[in-house]
Amino acid sequence: MSLREVLTPFSVWKRVLDAPVSIADPFSREASEHYRGFHKNDMETCIGCGTCEAICQNGAIDMVPVEGQNTEKGDSGLRPMIDYGRCCWCALCVDICMTGSLTMSNEYTWVDSDPDAFRFIPGLNEPWKDKQAGYKRENGRVLSGTTRSPMGELHANERIDNFNEICVGYTREEAILEADRCVECGLCVATCPAHMSIPDYIAAVRDQDYDRGLQLLYETNPFSEVCGRICTHKCETSCAAVHEGDAIAIRWLKRHIVDNVPLERRVELIGAPKPATGKSVAIIGAGPGGLTAAYDLAREGVKVTVYEALPKPGGMMRYGIPEYRLPYDALDRDIAVIEAMGVTIKCATVVGVDVQMEDLRQSHDAVILAIGLQMGRGTRIPGSEGAGVERAVDLLRRITAGDPTVPVPETAVVIGGGNVAFDIARSMARLQKIKYGRVGLTLTALEDRAHFLADKEELVEGDEEGVLILDSRGPQEVMRDPSGQVTGLRTWAVTSIFDAEGRFAPAYDESDEQIHQGALVIEAIGQMADTSLLGDALTEKLEWNRGRIKIDSEMRTSEPWLFAAGDAVKGPDVINAVADGHRAARTVMEAIAQGEVVQ
Amino acid sequence: MMRDLHALLTPRHALGPLEIRRENLAFVTLPASNLRGFLTELRDTQGFSHLVLLTAVDWLEEGQFQLTYMMNNRARDLTLGVRVMLDRTTAQMDSIHDLWPTAATYQRELKEMFGITFPGSPRLDEEFILEGWTDLPPYRRDFDSLAYSQQTYAERPGRVTHDPREYMKSKLYPGG
Repeated sequence: MSLREVLTPFSVWKRVLDAPVSIADPFSREASEHYRGFHKNDMETCIGCGTCEAICQNGAIDMVPVEGQNTEKGDSGLRPMIDYGRCCWCALCVDICMTGSLTMSNEYTWVDSDPDAFRFIPGLNEPWKDKQAGYKRENGRVLSGTTRSPMGELHANERIDNFNEICVGYTREEAILEADRCVECGLCVATCPAHMSIPDYIAAVRDQDYDRGLQLLYETNPFSEVCGRICTHKCETSCAAVHEGDAIAIRWLKRHIVDNVPLERRVELIGAPKPATGKSVAIIGAGPGGLTAAYDLAREGVKVTVYEALPKPGGMMRYGIPEYRLPYDALDRDIAVIEAMGVTIKCATVVGVDVQMEDLRQSHDAVILAIGLQMGRGTRIPGSEGAGVERAVDLLRRITAGDPTVPVPETAVVIGGGNVAFDIARSMARLQKIKYGRVGLTLTALEDRAHFLADKEELVEGDEEGVLILDSRGPQEVMRDPSGQVTGLRTWAVTSIFDAEGRFAPAYDESDEQIHQGALVIEAIGQMADTSLLGDALTEKLEWNRGRIKIDSEMRTSEPWLFAAGDAVKGPDVINAVADGHRAARTVMEAIAQGEVVQ
Repeated sequence: MMRDLHALLTPRHALGPLEIRRENLAFVTLPASNLRGFLTELRDTQGFSHLVLLTAVDWLEEGQFQLTYMMNNRARDLTLGVRVMLDRTTAQMDSIHDLWPTAATYQRELKEMFGITFPGSPRLDEEFILEGWTDLPPYRRDFDSLAYSQQTYAERPGRVTHDPREYMKSKLYPGG
């Protein structure tokens, strides 16, 4: 060992008076601005979708109930709890968070003698809760796609002089791209009245397994081809993707699955019903509620006969919804599958005329009433009685039936702002275009444009097709010339629709009066059920609730042999009718099993 | 400048199209067998004397690994990313440790994290940061991080999680 080697270490003493490089108090040292430190979660923005848990590569996150967070539409009420024994601060959970609620602070020191303290729910009362610094997604970057695959549509010019279907459906490529955006959180399932297995069938699209997709659809909905086109798709309003982009096109993906499985294959995939039980059920009304119940009961081996007053089955799906939204052959295929399960549909058979309620009661183990809302309501404004004023549902029914006497004047006015109003307005616009080469249709609604009851696309497409849509107009009088011919509709501007107690009581600005020209006025302000088929005795015997037959939550009426479903008792759309149909069928099966149904 | 260089070197090294990101940053892809010759010429005649980094991307679906050699010309402030694509099953590339000694460290890391081998590179098979690793190289995309972490690390007792969909059902429509 040389002398130099002995002495060299002492040379560091020359630094003894220098300022120290190390930090005297490392515990209060601020980390950098974007440091990935302890988590924060904005409890109000978080929707409990669990995508953070799903992406965590360390299995560090659990979704747990938190006091004060309620389970409601679009929010599971669960919140992430993070186990810091496993977290590696990779921040994938922050990157994938569907609402941006989950972020990180730049805090990185935390001392505790209780190891369980490090399993914690960010967003409650951690000291760094309100710290601004820390890791966030840069520039609002979103990992899952935010833009919906656009649906191909016929241009307004191509569709206004015919009843061809407007939407062309997704290609496989478009469907896979759209399905890829779904994070499979399942928040939508609760919102769907039929609780369809939405994330599972979207996964089937992604996997290109249409057989599996179709089987999943039929577990909860025998009208998937119909609903894939015209469902009110409230599920999409609960989609986690809606917070930072477009909701997943759940409805179009459903349609895409059915479009890719031919009819014969559908029947094959569903399989044969259970062996016959010897039981039989009569169903009145071949709409979505009645036929769904029929499907379920037939699957259980019950002999089902459906009585339908109109010449063809489908109810409002056929006689209400226009062909350009739901082609008849699409509806026919859904019904064909139901018939393939052994359901007998007797069309053009009016209960109360061709067959009596009492006979149905005698010859079946149970009867389900699913008669829908077939009668249009009138406005009862002056001039609304007599020729030249029609109800939307009647006209739509006649248009479907091909009635040559449907009045098609050059100008017409529709009263109403719901989907039925748009259905008749846009159907009539097509008939006008075919007959006169131009559209002369005015639609007046009480609501302002932002609050129309119709789906948004109805407004967009109605505008495109040349329907004059006037919002906040209240009908006052149907104008007639001295000979009694309708000449138009007089309206006032609406200042409010509901009174202080929230009751329907439109108020008007009488100084803002307009007359909308039209030789035909069509009322589309709501429907009611025609219950005359019940007969006086049964009508008297049944319990009623504000003009509707009273049912319990399991679709039982006050008569033990009679059940009711669909728009006539609940409403308001196809998917709710489907859900009701399932419930009615289940209740009937339980009642039959328990021998409750008294003859 | 980058364009001139690209035009000059393309015929000899079968370079792909030049992807310009910034005025002084561009990328180019070439056949793996041409890499050593191209890097040598870049270093010895074009002033790209600095190997900034060497990294990889696993293109699992395409069955390929991409190697990116970031080369820098300090005097002219130019950076060229040189890419080669390797067959994922063979996962082998010529070593460049003799051109830049630091490359040996990158190559050792890539061997450990991606399982890409560079025959002849010093200390290639020694552990780099992983100790006693027996699983798939962890940066390969078919390595299941979650399964590994579940098998390897203990779960703290008392943990319970809830599936949002099932939980909502139990709260909102328990009867179905």
